[in-house]
Amino acid sequence: MKFKLENTEENLDGEILQSLSNNEFVLKIKGKELNLKILSMTHEKIEFMLDSTYHIAKYLENNTSRITLVADGVKLTFNKHPDLDKIVYKNSGSESAMDSQINLKSQIPGRVVSINVAVGDKIKQGDVVCVLESMKMQVSIKSHKDGAVKSIKIKQGASVAKNDVLAEIE
Amino acid sequence: MIKKILIANRGEIAIRVIKTCNALGIKSVAVYSDEDVNSKHVKMATESYHIGAASPSQSYLNMEKIVETAINSGADAIHPGYGFLSENADFADLCEKKKLNFIGPSGKSMRLCGDKMLCKAAMSKAQVPTVPGSPGIVEEVEKALDIANKIGYPVLLKSVFGGGGRGIRLVHNEKELRQAFELASGESKAAFGKSALFVEKFLPKIRHIEFQLARDKHGNAVHIFERECSIQRRHQKLIEMSPSPVVDQKTRDEIGQLAVNAAIAVDYENAGTAEFLRLDDGTFYFIEINARLQVEHPVTELVSGLDLVKLQIDIANGEPIPFKQKDLKVNGCAIECRINAEDTFLDFAPSTGKITDVDIPSGPGVRVDTYLYPGSSVSPYYDSLMAKLITWGQNFEESRQRMVLALSDFYIEGVETAIPLYKTILETQEFIKGDLSTDFLDRFKILDRLRDDLKNEASKKADVALAATLIHSEFLKNKITPRKEHSMRWKTQLDRH
Repeated sequence: MKFKLENTEENLDGEILQSLSNNEFVLKIKGKELNLKILSMTHEKIEFMLDSTYHIAKYLENNTSRITLVADGVKLTFNKHPDLDKIVYKNSGSESAMDSQINLKSQIPGRVVSINVAVGDKIKQGDVVCVLESMKMQVSIKSHKDGAVKSIKIKQGASVAKNDVLAEIE
Repeated sequence: MIKKILIANRGEIAIRVIKTCNALGIKSVAVYSDEDVNSKHVKMATESYHIGAASPSQSYLNMEKIVETAINSGADAIHPGYGFLSENADFADLCEKKKLNFIGPSGKSMRLCGDKMLCKAAMSKAQVPTVPGSPGIVEEVEKALDIANKIGYPVLLKSVFGGGGRGIRLVHNEKELRQAFELASGESKAAFGKSALFVEKFLPKIRHIEFQLARDKHGNAVHIFERECSIQRRHQKLIEMSPSPVVDQKTRDEIGQLAVNAAIAVDYENAGTAEFLRLDDGTFYFIEINARLQVEHPVTELVSGLDLVKLQIDIANGEPIPFKQKDLKVNGCAIECRINAEDTFLDFAPSTGKITDVDIPSGPGVRVDTYLYPGSSVSPYYDSLMAKLITWGQNFEESRQRMVLALSDFYIEGVETAIPLYKTILETQEFIKGDLSTDFLDRFKILDRLRDDLKNEASKKADVALAATLIHSEFLKNKITPRKEHSMRWKTQLDRH
């Protein structure tokens, strides 16, 4: 199977060649055969020996197309269907593809200090839409695209959570 | 003698103070807001009292409530930590009025330290050099132009009411100064009813070097060496170390004496810090006294062998400082990295939430001051500092290597941290050579290097991660049964191979 490591955009080949008894496996990764033995495994976490070296990985997010995990403390994301990827994302209109085109979301939780645009304003990518305050710091939230402000979903002084929609920009 | 201390703070510094209380057999009183019910300092203190809602103004900044809690709990002293009320002169006065021993300088001294113009005047009297500029507030633009011509452009036009980089304008010539002056005085009048501007020489490339101070009630004063705090982002320190790579013993004696003179000039009492800017030609300018225990005090503790919180308590008790300047020698080198909950790639924006897992490094010369534990949370209401990682070594290189390894061992799950950034910085040739300045991150394009480092790190772990991914899909097909407790059989099998 083909995988794309999103951190580096590199493509990798990997498959399970053989499942032995006692939770041991023979894998083939990048053309190399490796022995893997599971020490412990749950939905969230695996501890294993790869050849003779111990590793621990935590599964953070997993869906049909992508998996994000922390391997020995390093966070990585694999795209499981790198070839399908382009087609699906462009044409689906589902997932978050549509969302991300219109909605400006907050990447941090915080309190709305000021709103710098009004409905109908024409703005450019990088223009400040609003200012949030969190942990004594003021953070400018900038538009992710050029467009017109279709609606504003926040009020001055209100609190917003991470991933809340702040404004719609068309 | 102090028998019971209320700690008017939270997080790692509250824990730090409790540890010294425990060591001295002093009872500790913690206070907490709604948000901190499950915080570690609440669990560690001898007694803990709820003081209000999450918002600092209703809890950790509520002077009346804190003083009332201290009196009701039978505490005889208050340690303010840093931030919150630590440099609030009114709070120090209130404690004094209520017969509570405030562990820090007097309200009067604090006011002097906190007023830029009064402080500058006091320093000029004590012959402590400050950044060239106007001796006081400049009311007319012609006066500002005179001064600018004398000290040379570019200059900074600053508002007395600013702070932390706010209200500062950089001007390059007469025309810009005229415009900026008009704008700034208008703003100042609108906001504070009066104009309070001053002019200072702009110093493009600087190091931030500060001296730890201690002065007792008997007038004995010492400095406990310098700390180099030049690695910063947005005027906030990220990495601190002692000694500084550009301070030799002669400079230490000389500038340390200036720092002591500065403390005497404002009649400072207890532990404090004199901050200086250093130019590449070796000139030092005093900028301000921080009238509190500093965040970065552990680096001084590691190279001096002192417990600075104990020293603070002893001084508050009226005891003389138990050593002389000549008794103090820098031992080895200590480095501190501030582990903030923030996203390096989102311009250091705060990152908050539950800490689902945490692995705290340890080993020879490794110290971690933190409030984190698995299941704790990082609140958006308070400062982003979660932990301080400090390493000591017999020399800079040993301390640095220990830091690199300890950073790799530090695992925090749930929020973003600058740990990867620190690994990148600590491994640059520029850091190793000691080529530091407050614009270090920009000057050496550190964020670009960090991106490369992260890619390399991910690339190195790709095989391991892919193996875990392949097994996971097998697991989801129910081909593997969960095994929470693994036997040790694999080890004996491996040994046999």
